[in-house]
Amino acid sequence: MKSRREFLCSLGGACVAAVAGPGFAQDVAPRGTMVPVEEGGLAPRPAGWYKKLPEEWVQCGLCPRGCRISDAERGTCGVRENRKGNLYTLVHSRPCTVALDPIEKKPFFHVLPGSPVLSLATAGCNFDCKGCQNWEIAQARPEQVRSFTLTPEDAIGVARERGAPLVACTYTEPTVFSEYVLDIARAGRGKGIRTVVVSNGSIQQQPLADLCAELAAYKVDLKGFNETFYRQHTGGELKPVLETLRRLMKLGTWTEIVVLVIPTLNDSMEEIKSLARFVVNDLGPEVPVHFTRFHPAYRLMNLPSTPVSTLERARQTAMEQGLRFVYLGNVPGHPGENTFCPGCGRTLIKRRGMALLENNLKGGSCPDCRRKIPGVWV
Amino acid sequence: MAEAPTRRDFIGCVAAGLAVSAATVREAEAFFLPGPPPSVASAPSRPVVAIARREGMIDRPAGKLDMRKVQEALGAAVSRAAGEKTAVDAFQKLFTPRDVVGIKVNCLAGRGLSTRPEVAAQIALWLQVAGVPPGQIVIWDRTERELKSAGFSPSQSGPRVIGTDGDYEGRLREWGPGASRFARLLVEDLTAVIDVPLLKDHGLSGVSLGMKNLYGTIHNPNKLHDEGCNPFLPHLSAFPLLREKLRLTVVDGTTGQCHGGPGFSPAWAWEYQGFLASTDIVAVDAAGWRVLEERRKSQGLKSLALEGREPRYIRDAQKLGLGVGDEARVDVRNV
Ligand code: SF4
Repeated sequence: MKSRREFLCSLGGACVAAVAGPGFAQDVAPRGTMVPVEEGGLAPRPAGWYKKLPEEWVQCGLCPRGCRISDAERGTCGVRENRKGNLYTLVHSRPCTVALDPIEKKPFFHVLPGSPVLSLATAGCNFDCKGCQNWEIAQARPEQVRSFTLTPEDAIGVARERGAPLVACTYTEPTVFSEYVLDIARAGRGKGIRTVVVSNGSIQQQPLADLCAELAAYKVDLKGFNETFYRQHTGGELKPVLETLRRLMKLGTWTEIVVLVIPTLNDSMEEIKSLARFVVNDLGPEVPVHFTRFHPAYRLMNLPSTPVSTLERARQTAMEQGLRFVYLGNVPGHPGENTFCPGCGRTLIKRRGMALLENNLKGGSCPDCRRKIPGVWV
Repeated sequence: MAEAPTRRDFIGCVAAGLAVSAATVREAEAFFLPGPPPSVASAPSRPVVAIARREGMIDRPAGKLDMRKVQEALGAAVSRAAGEKTAVDAFQKLFTPRDVVGIKVNCLAGRGLSTRPEVAAQIALWLQVAGVPPGQIVIWDRTERELKSAGFSPSQSGPRVIGTDGDYEGRLREWGPGASRFARLLVEDLTAVIDVPLLKDHGLSGVSLGMKNLYGTIHNPNKLHDEGCNPFLPHLSAFPLLREKLRLTVVDGTTGQCHGGPGFSPAWAWEYQGFLASTDIVAVDAAGWRVLEERRKSQGLKSLALEGREPRYIRDAQKLGLGVGDEARVDVRNV
């Protein structure tokens, strides 16, 4: 088994080899090294959030799918297995990707701008989005990917040593490895390392509340704004995601929303308008919304990249509905990457791609008009 | 002078899954397998599902298989399914010496409700007698862990016994409602497949038989269990990569389970002591479903339809032209 020291060495080595582009977007995952773990790469640990059913069945209560799982079978996400009537997570402390990213890559634009964030993911997802950029790990079972052993304490240790004040559970779907997320967040408590997640928002009430008690921020991928699209293109449902967003507001967890705009599938301005209205009315006009550019991937190789003009119209439409912080993503150099003061129009944070160029905020407020800008700034 | 094997020697070889000389096995088979009645040799005009059961196949109290009865029943089922006189004739009809044959077993539920190693080994042996070299025979399932849990000994030589584990091809293949990466073994090595599922209940798909066992050839079966696995099962089974390679389905019904599946639930398991075989995967699934329903009834259980998990995918597979699930159009024979 790889020691933490060896892991850090490989992290550092890969870092040197992979520095590219603006900022410090670095893929530091020590790919190519398989850490042998018992049972052919699996590391089963008792799962949380489930109930036992007759005849050694269980029902998982982590996400709205509520999988009923018989002995020896797994839930839809492929990482939670019933063994003789008990549910186990197979991915606790077993990330398959570990990287150092800028927080802007998540994207979180209102959380510690310019900070490095230790990003990690395990295999598995409860959705099956046809445009998934990370399908090789998200749609894989844990034994089908190379994984590392990285305990929550070690993840926090790596983050500290790399100067990252944040750990992000991202790339795949953190909900399905919630036990690990929670333990990382707890391990970082008192050590100055906070944890954020980048999620599809398809999670049940109790695990969401448990996670939010520890998390610094939650990013929700709102994949569209109609049920048909969700059913046909994500394998999930819209309604529970909207419910999660409402709950996040009640829980007071800092939340940002990302919408991947896919040509012909979810790019009608009517739909964008409805989405923006929902955010304004149910969540509040200060919640940041990012419209990001789709590039062909996975099962949507037949579609073109999103025209920048579509994203611009989406931003305009959303702002017309009253949203105050609307951003564009995957369009480096576009003014829509910047944060402007809704009070006086001053450019507060200037970005290019994933790089922070300027941060003019003063104590979380506009230096000119003193308007408070919502977010996690310290 | 070579000594003829005793029945004990022969059974020992089978149980150990060893490669033996073709002549030895042919001799042994000729000695131990009674030929079926002449009528079965004629080509079937409609799909045949052969069901062969033998009392005493499971030797009590030890629980071991009586290999003579296994050979009798398995040989009768396979030969009748292929319309041949003997098992070896059947394998010769269905496979050539150039084939690389994968025997897809089902080990999900561990010992107690998995394809018996002895049954897989017997099939491997007959393939060898039929001329397929041992190096071109692979007994395989999703993972080595599951194979071991079912009593198989993974091996890289002779007839290989291997788990796919993470070895799926890199590319994604669309197959109608789903998209998957297939086991590299299936894509790159195998020219033919023998599907050897169990006779068992499944809490989501209703039953787990031939089509369901093919989920073990792809990387993402966990994504394909909604709506009773329908329409995923018919479409996956109809995908050319599988359809063109699948030559025979043999349901290992030494032990069946009519409820509480797919895991092993001893309360609902019973010694069916038989095999169902067909070259038509839809027909054999339909016949297996019927056996399971009969058992459920005898145990006072509701039908799968009343439990809301009727395996509609079997009928839909027929609609897709994959085979014949309509009982009236299938020649089900007890042999
Ligand atoms: S987390 Fe996984 S096992 Fe649990 S309900 Fe969701 S998909 Fe099913």
